[in-house]
Amino acid sequence: MDEREEASNEPLDLVRLCIDEIVVVKLRGDRELKGRLHAYDSHCNLVLGDVEETIYVAEEEDEDQPPRVRTVKKQSEMLFVRGDSVVLIAPQEGVAQ
Amino acid sequence: MSFFGFDATLPRDKGHSTNAPGFGHHDAFASLGGGAADDDAIDFEETYDGLGDQLDETDDAFNDDTFGSAPATQQDIGRDFDFHGQTSKIANTLQEEQMVYQARHPAPQQQIQQHVQQQRPPIPHASKPTRTGYESYHDPDYIPQLEARADIWGLKPKQSSAPKQSEPQYQAPAPSRKMMSLDEVEAMMRNQPVQATPPPAHQHMAPTQPPMPSHYPQSLPHGQPLFPGQFPPQIMQRPQQHPQQHHQHQPGQPGPRQPQVHAELPAQPVHTQPPQQPTILQRPRQSNETTAQQQRPNQPQGQPQGQPQRPPSQPRHILQNPNRLSGHGQPVAHSGHPGARGPQPGHNRGPSYTPMVITHPEQLMALSQEERDAYIEAEAKRAKRNHKISLLAKDNGLMTPQDKNFITRIQLQQLMTATGNLDERGPEAAIAEDFYYHVMSQIRGGARQNPHQPANQFAQTYLFQTNSRFGPRRNGRTGDNHMQRMEQQVQRAVEAAKAKPKGKQLVIEGSLGKIAFSNAKTPRPLLNIKRPETGDKHPKNHKSSVAHRKQTLRNIEAIYMTLMRIEDVDRAIPPPIREDSSPEAIQAHMEWRSKIETLRKELWQNLKIMEPINPQSPTPHPFISILSHAKGKKAIQRIFPHIDEQERITVVTMIVVHLDQLSVVSHGTATPEEPLSPAMREEIDLFLGTVIPPLFAHVSESPLNIIIGLLGLILDRTHMHVVARSKVGMSLLTILISRAELLKQSAPEAVTDWEQWADLYNRLFDAVEPVLPVIFPGGINDTDDMYIWQFLAAMGVGASPDQQQRLVIGVKDRVMETVTVSKALPAEMAGARLANVNLFMRAIGLDVELLG
Repeated sequence: MDEREEASNEPLDLVRLCIDEIVVVKLRGDRELKGRLHAYDSHCNLVLGDVEETIYVAEEEDEDQPPRVRTVKKQSEMLFVRGDSVVLIAPQEGVAQ
Repeated sequence: MSFFGFDATLPRDKGHSTNAPGFGHHDAFASLGGGAADDDAIDFEETYDGLGDQLDETDDAFNDDTFGSAPATQQDIGRDFDFHGQTSKIANTLQEEQMVYQARHPAPQQQIQQHVQQQRPPIPHASKPTRTGYESYHDPDYIPQLEARADIWGLKPKQSSAPKQSEPQYQAPAPSRKMMSLDEVEAMMRNQPVQATPPPAHQHMAPTQPPMPSHYPQSLPHGQPLFPGQFPPQIMQRPQQHPQQHHQHQPGQPGPRQPQVHAELPAQPVHTQPPQQPTILQRPRQSNETTAQQQRPNQPQGQPQGQPQRPPSQPRHILQNPNRLSGHGQPVAHSGHPGARGPQPGHNRGPSYTPMVITHPEQLMALSQEERDAYIEAEAKRAKRNHKISLLAKDNGLMTPQDKNFITRIQLQQLMTATGNLDERGPEAAIAEDFYYHVMSQIRGGARQNPHQPANQFAQTYLFQTNSRFGPRRNGRTGDNHMQRMEQQVQRAVEAAKAKPKGKQLVIEGSLGKIAFSNAKTPRPLLNIKRPETGDKHPKNHKSSVAHRKQTLRNIEAIYMTLMRIEDVDRAIPPPIREDSSPEAIQAHMEWRSKIETLRKELWQNLKIMEPINPQSPTPHPFISILSHAKGKKAIQRIFPHIDEQERITVVTMIVVHLDQLSVVSHGTATPEEPLSPAMREEIDLFLGTVIPPLFAHVSESPLNIIIGLLGLILDRTHMHVVARSKVGMSLLTILISRAELLKQSAPEAVTDWEQWADLYNRLFDAVEPVLPVIFPGGINDTDDMYIWQFLAAMGVGASPDQQQRLVIGVKDRVMETVTVSKALPAEMAGARLANVNLFMRAIGLDVELLG
């Protein structure tokens, strides 16, 4: 029990629980990453494996109509994410195991 | 120093203003830089000064001589100039330079400035000396270039305006160009005071000669203004000039001059000049100068020669420049040029300062108010500039090349110690330095850097993981990859079984006759399929609350924390205790032992394996939950070395008991229509690669009673139809069965145990038989079915004839399909697939060949 509390007495310890798990990372610039978290540090620099990057691009066609959102997806085997662009890290729910 | 932008500024300044001070400033800076900038600056000035101009007027034919491409000719020219009226100019410049030197010395600066104001008005030409000093010193080659440029520039000035006074001077040098011996030169000088200049040229030719110093000072100043090539000599001479001046002054003007000179000399020691020239080169010189008085003894050699020359020259100067008269102290210095040059457009230096040349306070007094103001102003500027330069240059030359080398070596050494030679600090430090590199290099089979035990053990820890992931490789601890070993084990069992003669006919007949049978039986398994859905742990595992999931993750983290600490302590294992071990060593060992014991207990706690099993719990056992995470799986094989035998049995038992709760089992069943997801497939492979090997290693050393116990647990506590349809479950069953078969063949004496085993086997067979038709998860084209054939083979070996028949009936379709498909496959693949089938067929005494 002690260890459990010990393991989560600071916010990044929650990130630690996601090590080697699939996580969803939201980045600045309308981007999202989904991949296996291999490593992180206190700056939220991340190393992700088998990453799928989703970029949301807003395309404005008409002034009156709201812009259409298009997504661009990229696949990367390994990715280093600089922490200053990380907005959110979440464990991916619903993934088998 | 290039940042001063001398190159750019010089041309401009020259163009728009002929102010001597301006030039002087530029030069001084350029001297600091000492680089190419200086060269350029020099070129411009010289061209403007109008050496070329003068030449043009006198004679084109002489151009070659004066500006000739060959350095030798240039030198000649330079001498000529010196002898001419320019010598007087030079004298000024020399003095100025002295001033500059002194001024630049941080300490003496103020004194020097005072001296300058009092004694030396003539600053104007200072610019020249600065230039020359630099370049001449650095690059001998440089001179030729300057001359060539001078020619180009010179052409223009000629036409515009060239001082006629210079003409006579130039012409005179021409005759003197011929090489003369020193004697000749001296003779000439004495005979012809005016033409005395030629000898200096000669001296130029041979700079190494002792007399040269004395000559240089004189000649250089003269020639420099006009010729860039002459600059180098000037620099060399500077120190020497001072002494010469002194000598001259002493005879001529004992009063004011001498004291000045002396004052200056002490000041010189301070290295203000370094900025101009490479400090290193200058230092020795200056130091010599600093001891100027000491040097004087040396100079006497040159002086005798120089002195004779000067007397003649002075008269000339006086004639040319009325201003000079007062400046007796500047015997050699420029008197005539200021006047002559001032008018010249090209002359930047000359005009403003020339009139100002003042060597004595008296001179200053004699000047008009305006002149005095101008002079003082110029002097102030000068002092300011000098101060600037001294500030910039005060650190110049602090470090000798040796110093720099020394520092470089120190840095290199630090680099070395930071990266290499880690062994010196012991393996622990090496690992701490670059943990992952060491792991990597060990795994990648790089040369073993440390033969130390810790590193090896270390490597093994990680080797294991890598191996499991990338398939069969050397396995540090168990030797072979578990799959290979299992295969071998099955093979051996099959071989042993084949040794016993069996009634083939029966089998063949049975297989033929039972074909219909199998069809009839097929419905049964279909019915069974529903069971897993009802009694499934699916929801539990998957919908396990977030809290539970987090809990599990925390458990895993705790395990890893402890694991890493254990591995850390393991690496620091003290040397084994021997008879002669010191008490300290024993003590250390004891402490280490107790520490690792504590940690191992902690690890066991963190495994949560001893948590009570609660069948009613909606969530799986904590330990089983741990195994549902990839990192949890990976932890197992790292945990195994740190737990004792009893604990390993506990772990195996826990896994076996909850076999059908393992996510890889409960979700690991697939049908041709519903193949596994890639993620699931990965999980299963990971489990097979990380958890099964230690289990297999343990089981393959277990006695029969353990095997019986484990199999009994599986039969009693788990859903066989789920277990048997999953790859993990089937692998585990195969391990258990084949181990039992091997034990039976090697040690069949324990009769009671075998009866128990036979009973269990029958139960297992009955449980598995219904699912036989669906144990193949993929279609016929799914080649990943070897483990199933292995399982069937293991079953077949221990089966009774009747059971063998039922086995064959259960999988006959698959056998026939495979045989058919393999006929259409390339030989290699067909062979592989048939070999798999044969694993089973041979176990029951058949062969695919018979199915032809």
